[in-house]
Amino acid sequence: MEAVLRLFRKELIQVFRDRKLLFSTLVLPVLLMPVFMFGPSLFLSRLLQGAAERVQEVAVAGLPEEALKALEAARLKPVPVPDPEEAVREGRFPAGVVFREGAYRVFGRLASGLGESQVVVEKVKGALQALKEAQVAEALVRAGLPKEILSPFAVEVVDASPPKEKAGGLLGFLLPFFLVVFVLSGGQVVAVDATAGEKEKGTLEALLAAPVPLVQVALGKTLATVAMALLSGVAGLLGLALGGAWSARFGGGVLTERGETLALGGQVSLDGGSFLALFLTAFLLALFMGAVMVALGLYARSFKEAQSYMAPLQLLFLLPLSKCALTVASSCW
Amino acid sequence: MVQAEGLTKRYRKAVAVEGLTFGVGPGEVYALLGPNGAGKTTTLRLLSTLVRPSAGRALVAGFDVVREPLEVRRNLGLVNGGMRVYERLTGREVLEFFAGFYGLKGRAFLGALDWVVDLLEMEETLDKKVGEMSTGMRQKVVIARAILHRPKVLLLDEATAGLDIFARRALLDFVKAYRDLGHAVIYSTHVMGEAEEVADRVGFLHRGRLVYEGSKEEALALGEGSLERAFVRQVRGA
Repeated sequence: MEAVLRLFRKELIQVFRDRKLLFSTLVLPVLLMPVFMFGPSLFLSRLLQGAAERVQEVAVAGLPEEALKALEAARLKPVPVPDPEEAVREGRFPAGVVFREGAYRVFGRLASGLGESQVVVEKVKGALQALKEAQVAEALVRAGLPKEILSPFAVEVVDASPPKEKAGGLLGFLLPFFLVVFVLSGGQVVAVDATAGEKEKGTLEALLAAPVPLVQVALGKTLATVAMALLSGVAGLLGLALGGAWSARFGGGVLTERGETLALGGQVSLDGGSFLALFLTAFLLALFMGAVMVALGLYARSFKEAQSYMAPLQLLFLLPLSKCALTVASSCW
Repeated sequence: MVQAEGLTKRYRKAVAVEGLTFGVGPGEVYALLGPNGAGKTTTLRLLSTLVRPSAGRALVAGFDVVREPLEVRRNLGLVNGGMRVYERLTGREVLEFFAGFYGLKGRAFLGALDWVVDLLEMEETLDKKVGEMSTGMRQKVVIARAILHRPKVLLLDEATAGLDIFARRALLDFVKAYRDLGHAVIYSTHVMGEAEEVADRVGFLHRGRLVYEGSKEEALALGEGSLERAFVRQVRGA
């Protein structure tokens, strides 16, 4: 056992003396995770919120007076132009509306995805829908019918997810995904360097000529791989938690189709049992992966060959997680 | 100290060495000579338990290389030209790391360290990281690692490869000094001049077979004062 610990210590000293490796494995995830995870959603939610609150100009042609008033009521400023479609295409207006032969045609630049144009189009659609409902209700009243006839019943969608799943939101998927990614990438660095890397550098033969059973050599290297994999996983999760806190502080989140905001890291808290389960799962994953990666590394003849074995291995472990993204996240975790 | 009998190593498509029988006693330098690909490295890898023989047997310090590999490794030191040590560790850390495998700790380690530092004149290399050392200094650390536990048998395989003239001279002097301490040394090389300087006995290896074995003086007489000439004559005659 002493030989195993001696090897374990030596491997970690080597890793911790490589500043570049240490930075990319332990520091970078903490710094980048908040930016990658929550930056886009935060940026998007700010953009959409701003677009909804501002008054935007809309190119119009042939609109009746009541439609112009409805647009103004929806914080839009109608600007008459000869050809609204062309005006939108040229980027002079985010949206345009034409009324012709009893139909409203709304124009927007929608091909570029969610942006200000789409928000304004939605505002225009909302304003015209409200106008339509008001006119139908007025006609019903004139005909002596109650306007409630428009809504004979209500439809209400209720989120029946368990409280933990609701609190978890996307994190239920992201947590295992990034845990696997960081555990694999952190462990791989040590596994490859300590095995195929040693072969290539010519240091392994000196070790194998020492009176240490091969199984102890493999065990020492596996333990070092596991330790680094766990540290990398912790660094990744720390980055995720920081991103969650940042997101909660500055109002980030991911909008659903219904306009709700999914909870991310900021609303998740792990109790003792959950934390223990998380750590145990990460440890077992790291242990298994460490053993597999060290075995592959010892089998490989060079650094490059070992790395070529590791890439499919990562895909193999990420494949089940892609299923989680398509199903209920909690069933995978 | 070393006894090989019919030692053979076959791979799927090739025979690396076949039927090697030779012995090396204490206080003796045995030069294993031959061109590249003759089987010198395989022979030393067999003796140091890094590969298993396909046939035959070998004893190192009285221990069988197949049945008692750990005991064999405890009693030998191996240095080859391509061998390196950990670049991010200092010379002292490298030596302490390996010394632990031989049970050298605390005072025992410090005593061994003093001895090896004196023998190899490597005082200035101890606290430098290996990655910052010159080739000669690195090679001294490699050698120090191999002899720190004072092995009864020292195996050197093309150990002067890549060394500058000073480091090479230091290594040849060290081999003679280590022999004089009563240890057995197998010195494998294709540079005949080195063997002429350090060897007591020589073995000519050609295409995996030992084609000649005798004292250095006998071999020199055979080649009219040149081991190289002796080798060529033996190989052509074989």
